[in-house]
Amino acid sequence: MRIAGLGVTFFGLLALMLLLLILPFAFPFSTSVILINLLFYTALAYSINFITGMTGYVSFGHVVFLGIGAYALGASADVYGLDPVLGVLLGAALGLVFALAIGLVTLRFRGVYFAISTVVIALAALNIVLELPQLGGSQGIILNLGFQPYSWYYTIWGIVLFEMLITYYINRGKLGLGIRAIKSDEDAARSVGVNVSALKLYLFGLSGLFAGAGGAVFAWTTSGVFPYETFSLTFSLQMLAMIIIGGVGTSLGPILGAVVVYLPSYYFLTVAIGTQLIIIGFAVVVIALFIPEGIVGTLKRRSASLRELLE
Amino acid sequence: MTLLVEGISTGYGETQVLYDVSLRTEDRSLTVMVGPNGAGKSTTLRTITGLQRVWRGRVGFDGNDITSLPAFARVELGMASAPEGRRLFPLLTTEGNLRLGAYCRRARDSAEDSLSQVYSLFPKLKERRSIKAGRLSGGEQQMAAIGRALMSKPTLLILDEPSLGIAPILIKEIFETVKELEKGGLSILMVEQNAYQALKYADYAYILQMGRVLRSGTPSELKNVEELRKAYFSIV
Repeated sequence: MRIAGLGVTFFGLLALMLLLLILPFAFPFSTSVILINLLFYTALAYSINFITGMTGYVSFGHVVFLGIGAYALGASADVYGLDPVLGVLLGAALGLVFALAIGLVTLRFRGVYFAISTVVIALAALNIVLELPQLGGSQGIILNLGFQPYSWYYTIWGIVLFEMLITYYINRGKLGLGIRAIKSDEDAARSVGVNVSALKLYLFGLSGLFAGAGGAVFAWTTSGVFPYETFSLTFSLQMLAMIIIGGVGTSLGPILGAVVVYLPSYYFLTVAIGTQLIIIGFAVVVIALFIPEGIVGTLKRRSASLRELLE
Repeated sequence: MTLLVEGISTGYGETQVLYDVSLRTEDRSLTVMVGPNGAGKSTTLRTITGLQRVWRGRVGFDGNDITSLPAFARVELGMASAPEGRRLFPLLTTEGNLRLGAYCRRARDSAEDSLSQVYSLFPKLKERRSIKAGRLSGGEQQMAAIGRALMSKPTLLILDEPSLGIAPILIKEIFETVKELEKGGLSILMVEQNAYQALKYADYAYILQMGRVLRSGTPSELKNVEELRKAYFSIV
């Protein structure tokens, strides 16, 4: 285990992000839209990776934070005319606050009970929003923010960059050691002096923060917030699929998973509408059967030279 | 005196497991808790280490009341445990497991020193340092669990059934290492089902039965008592 010094994965991710920084200028708008969606899914994948990937607590209803972020931007832009970038920050802040409040209660449950509690909260959130006329009830909020591809792009780019850096920092350091202990055996982790409850809450908070930010960007790009769409459990499934396919808990896995899940589903969306979920489901089954550790985990296990490089 | 347990009662759900258990450990001594299955030995340890909440009673450590202190904070005070069934992190290497033992603040800076001390105590672990802990033998796992506990620089070492699932020849070795640690200045609290073996090494012992302390004393006081036999064979 090397703690000091930055590895190949770090510089690889950094190079990729720099490439993505200039890519919109090299391609026409239509490509940028694909990249925006890809980065949006990447942001979601890193977000759920903090809690589910790192600790093994399956946040099945993670979409609730996406929804909170989306409504934060929607309502603030609609009612107060707040700048969308500030709306994204507000979405992140509310995502964090709600994650801490929800986590304080639900992180006491373990295993499947935690997963169920998150689903219940996501369903409850949808029904609460439907009953709130201030948030547009079942109509949602229609915004008129216009077509701002560069602002969308660089906002979501910034979110992903932050997520990557934090993920890498956590995985590399003392915190990562404690977190791997929690994932492996929570009671044993407590016994060696890991503050399990605080660490779990910290990760859940991070994960809510970034899901909230991502949700706000979602509302911004679609120029509206629609309850059934923003609280759709499909998002939860996609997030889980991405980290399972990419490699749970790793620094590299979420973006790999996002590419593998998003690009085919984008392609199939255009040729055969409605099949993308079937494709994702099929991919998850195949991965779970043949490479249960995901892409990164499997490559690390198979090749000694890659083991040092991939994180 | 390091540990002072006063009249604790606790249980799981509505089932009471411990009834008014009191015990204490002294500096530089090996205190042993013996008793049959289900006597409440492990539960007593879980309340001492903070994994189980007490219903009534008080746990004191080095003069502090730690009854409601969370488990991780007790490690910072100098309490370390090798829990029942070893509870290593199977996917981490042997050395990774040991390093996690020095996770707490009190031990972080001296981790390298502690590591070489543990390796000299258990040379076998040094050989196996880069093997995943899940692939160690039972005896090696027990050494790693004790080593991990020592990494936190404890003043009180708690061992739960160190002889469980270990080859008889190794049991003696482990008990002797424990005795050595005691001479090195540690206070040790050990739970054992293997009563007669454990009493050979103990300075002071408690016999638990059905969640109560049946009797306590030095091993010579206890060795021939009818109670010990009764505790094991006549569970009502």
